[in-house]
Amino acid sequence: MRILIIEDEQKVSALVKRGLMAERYAVDVTVDGIEGLEFSDVYPYDLIILDLMLPRLPGAEVLQRIRRKNDLVPVLVLTARDSIDDKVKLFELGADDYLTKPFAFAELLVRVKALLRRGPVNRSSTLRIADLELDRLTQQVKRGGKRVELTGKEYSLLEYLMQNADRVLSRNMIIEHVWDQSFDGITNIVDVYVRHLRAKVDDGQTFKMIRTVRGTGYMIRRGVE
Amino acid sequence: MNRNSLRARVTAFYVSMLALALVFFSFAVYGGVRAYLTNSMERVLNHTAESIVTDYLVPLENKGQTWFLSEMSESFPTGISDPFVRVSQGGKVLYESGDLRDPLVRVSKLPLPSASTEMNSFHRATAETGQPLMIYDLAYSPPRGTPIVVETGASMEPLFHLLHSLFMILLIATPAILVCAAVGGHLLMAGPLRPVVVLTEQAERIGRKELGERLSIIRSGDELERLSLALNRMIDRLEEALAHNQRFSADASHELRTPLTIIRGELEALLEIPGLLDQATEGISSALEESDRMSRIVDNLMTISRLDGGGERMEMLPIDLTSILNITLDHMSLLADEKQIVMTCEAEAPVCVTGDAMRLKQVIVNLVDNAIKYTLEGGRVLVRLEAQGREAVLTVADTGIGIPAESLPHVFDRFYRTDKARSRELGGTGLGLAIVKAICSAHSGTLSIESAENKGTTLRVQLPLLILSPQEIAELQSRQAPPNNLIRGERSTVSPVKV
Repeated sequence: MRILIIEDEQKVSALVKRGLMAERYAVDVTVDGIEGLEFSDVYPYDLIILDLMLPRLPGAEVLQRIRRKNDLVPVLVLTARDSIDDKVKLFELGADDYLTKPFAFAELLVRVKALLRRGPVNRSSTLRIADLELDRLTQQVKRGGKRVELTGKEYSLLEYLMQNADRVLSRNMIIEHVWDQSFDGITNIVDVYVRHLRAKVDDGQTFKMIRTVRGTGYMIRRGVE
Repeated sequence: MNRNSLRARVTAFYVSMLALALVFFSFAVYGGVRAYLTNSMERVLNHTAESIVTDYLVPLENKGQTWFLSEMSESFPTGISDPFVRVSQGGKVLYESGDLRDPLVRVSKLPLPSASTEMNSFHRATAETGQPLMIYDLAYSPPRGTPIVVETGASMEPLFHLLHSLFMILLIATPAILVCAAVGGHLLMAGPLRPVVVLTEQAERIGRKELGERLSIIRSGDELERLSLALNRMIDRLEEALAHNQRFSADASHELRTPLTIIRGELEALLEIPGLLDQATEGISSALEESDRMSRIVDNLMTISRLDGGGERMEMLPIDLTSILNITLDHMSLLADEKQIVMTCEAEAPVCVTGDAMRLKQVIVNLVDNAIKYTLEGGRVLVRLEAQGREAVLTVADTGIGIPAESLPHVFDRFYRTDKARSRELGGTGLGLAIVKAICSAHSGTLSIESAENKGTTLRVQLPLLILSPQEIAELQSRQAPPNNLIRGERSTVSPVKV
């Protein structure tokens, strides 16, 4: 899988490149719009990560030109703007997804993987991690064969964690998926719900699945490292 | 009608000017006519007396008494002579034109001139019948014998009658003219002022919505055209300033967010290093938390500046606030449970407003979150939504720690913290209430606060109420129902009655 990063801020592109390479992607970095377009012409990329504020040629223009030539390559836009207008405009221009700076690398990775798979992410009816089992049809959760009773939000939270097992999910990501943006950054609602979920899922078990990653967020793990 | 309106004021001004002019004019006319009539009467009396002296008294010496009497009775026939005349000599009447018939004046009953009567002058007298009279006395000294006195007189009644009529005409006509002028003027003013009314309405509409529109130019070539042009230029400048502000916000947010991205990324990468000392992990995690908070502050600041500057595009739709409130409280119930706080919700059946559902939800989340944060364990939070008159009123009352009176005026300021140590420990950005305030303003609503220290705080949001028919409300609710209601296990833990 080959990914092109078009980002003028070299420290940002270096970080993203390092992280993606650790996940075994091939990564090219370009520093302005013109160069980015040339690269995207020459090599068949599986994904392009595009910053919006670029020297020489603005990101929106780059996106339009890429779309004119190649409909298929997924484009993930990095933006420092978060007004609804800007977001709507991005999708109109043909972006597949966007990420507002600053972002947790984990979040970038989740989105990159989702775009590369280009399809529903593991929509099988049962999610299974170790002895934890979640049935999407009956909405039942079992740990070690024993039924775990969850409220609606706890269920959604667990489903989201299990879908992205072994990945750290930031509070922002969780809020956007399980609640909505109006809860953003206001409350400690995620922590409270995770605590409750943990009590139901992990209490009395020797293997604690739900892990807190301080400063970043939460994750569910498949096994002990 | 507004008494202070330009129209009323202009009308009042010129009506009073007109009234002044009319009163002055009436006095002048009345005085002038009166002087003219009196003068001409005096002239007639004077002339008659003079002609009697020259024509009849001077020749009397030569022509004799008989001639005099026949000439006099021919010139001044008895009973119909107007003015009446009386010629007397030393208390003896030589000739008398007799009583006037219309109006009746008995000349014979008038006292004869005595020695004290001033000669060659006019005097007023009253006839026996009550008629006001004007009499002229002229003395003639014949070559021999005692002086002869010629009296000429006339009733002043016709003159007074005329003056009275004139007075009545002026008295009735002046107010009538003024009333006509006021009504006509007021109607007439509507024409020239119509464009001003139109301009005002347009300007108000532009102020409420977006600045994209412009006022229609009044092509009258007068001050109003200049005014509309000037207003449009002002809107241009405003729009430019707003655009500038928005650009600045976007640029500033970009400039702040890029370094934040790098800080965050570098710290995350550091945490991945195997075998890190606990102290290092602790420090890096703490720095990560702070960078998280900083990005929240940047987010909130941008949100406020966009809301204030009108740059935030909001989806203003009719919404049922009650169902939004119930869903939101349901999502937050666990936060209250955690602190053993009893959260009660009193929401009247559908209260509808026009607004952005997302933003209004944010208002509820912010207010309820604050209430829970600043209420001690075991306290109470009461959320109430009701329609009062033409307003939807949302109150969030808690039994929390309250706010000192001196801090109350500042609680909606950006970055204002009542108890700095405490609220920062709770992870706030100091912008929550400022955002709520900005959202309320953007919805043409208000936010107010009441608080007593150690007793509790009540926040009140007032929004313009939207009155809908039951059918429209039902449509609204079906549209508003969460579309992704896959989760069957979800049961409302917050009922409209009690948690």
